[in-house]
Amino acid sequence: MKYIIFDAGPLISFAMNGLLDILEKLKKEFPGEFIITPEVKKEVIDRPLQNKKYELEGIKISDLLSRSILKLSSEFIKNPALEKETSRILNIANSSFKADKNISLIQRGEASCLAFSNLCGCENLIAIDERTTRMLVEDPDGLKKIMEMKLHLKITIDKQNIKKLNDFRFIRSSELLYIAYKKNLFNLKKDNILLDALLYAVKYTGTAISQKEIEELKKLA
Amino acid sequence: MQEVDNIIRILRETRKALDKDNSYKIKLLSDQTIHTAAVYQDNDNVIVAVLVYAIGKIIERENYRELPGWREFYSSLIKNLELAISSLEQANLERFRDSEKNIRLAINRIDSKLKDYIEDIFKKARINKASKIYEHGLSLEKTAELLGSDLWDLSTYIGQSSYTGEVSESLDIKRRIKLAEGMFEK
Repeated sequence: MKYIIFDAGPLISFAMNGLLDILEKLKKEFPGEFIITPEVKKEVIDRPLQNKKYELEGIKISDLLSRSILKLSSEFIKNPALEKETSRILNIANSSFKADKNISLIQRGEASCLAFSNLCGCENLIAIDERTTRMLVEDPDGLKKIMEMKLHLKITIDKQNIKKLNDFRFIRSSELLYIAYKKNLFNLKKDNILLDALLYAVKYTGTAISQKEIEELKKLA
Repeated sequence: MQEVDNIIRILRETRKALDKDNSYKIKLLSDQTIHTAAVYQDNDNVIVAVLVYAIGKIIERENYRELPGWREFYSSLIKNLELAISSLEQANLERFRDSEKNIRLAINRIDSKLKDYIEDIFKKARINKASKIYEHGLSLEKTAELLGSDLWDLSTYIGQSSYTGEVSESLDIKRRIKLAEGMFEK
């Protein structure tokens, strides 16, 4: 079994750009399950359903869940076990960067995706659009540099602690759309203009991707 | 509360800038609590950042001054800003927090379009400050939680701000695509 574990960002980005049907088509191409944790469900379904501005998007994502395009993590890992692992990861992540005190960097939603990844015991990727969680794992020194530049403070990293977080693998909305584009899942003329439009659409709804990366993706296609 | 002296200075300078109608100066002052808000995640610093930015935006819109309710609101704003400064000078945190609440109550008392406009400014001020805190390295959800902003609003705002992604190349894009392609192989 393979899993793609979704943080809130990619689902928000797909919903805001009217691309949830593409997520459904991607699921048909995927030999595994698309997972959301209860914390992520709160952000992408429960809260939008209470907010008229995003109610329609909440209904659409809820529909994906009811049709098993997305599956709740509790079908595979019991909630108490996930919560316990989420707390453990939060504790590591939020005690690894220090100014004169620990800087709390991530929140339960993001940590719950990492927790499921740790517990599922299967090949998995985490789909996450925001920058901090990804950098915390892939490039903690880069994150430290950004924080020092912005905060004008000396930051220290607990290297031993942060090493406990180095087994995660991440993709973003942009990579998912690239796969969808390569697999001809759009009923639109397939050319670089379409790919460019897709990648900028998700960039403008929160995917942390640089213009340079977008240009490279277009060359790869 | 962290860095009280800094907050007192910012509020005093905001008060002076109000007399000079200097909205630009006020907006710059609002960013000076962001570092502390990001490191200590101290709610009072966050509130001051949002409040000061919103004040800058409110006085920028000169047409608001013609609307019913402006005089009462502005007078309450000045009174409570001064109360906030004197409360902090006397280390009276409770009264400082009341002064912020009083400004919110003054907005609620406005019985005209001005109320909607000012509420909208405060909402946008929260998102603006959230995006600044995200730039400082906190995750998106952490930032939304700290500012009480909606994650959906924040994603769009951050996506449209100029810096996004320019510092995000933590893994070569070819390797990341390989990861994705590998997962879709049956």
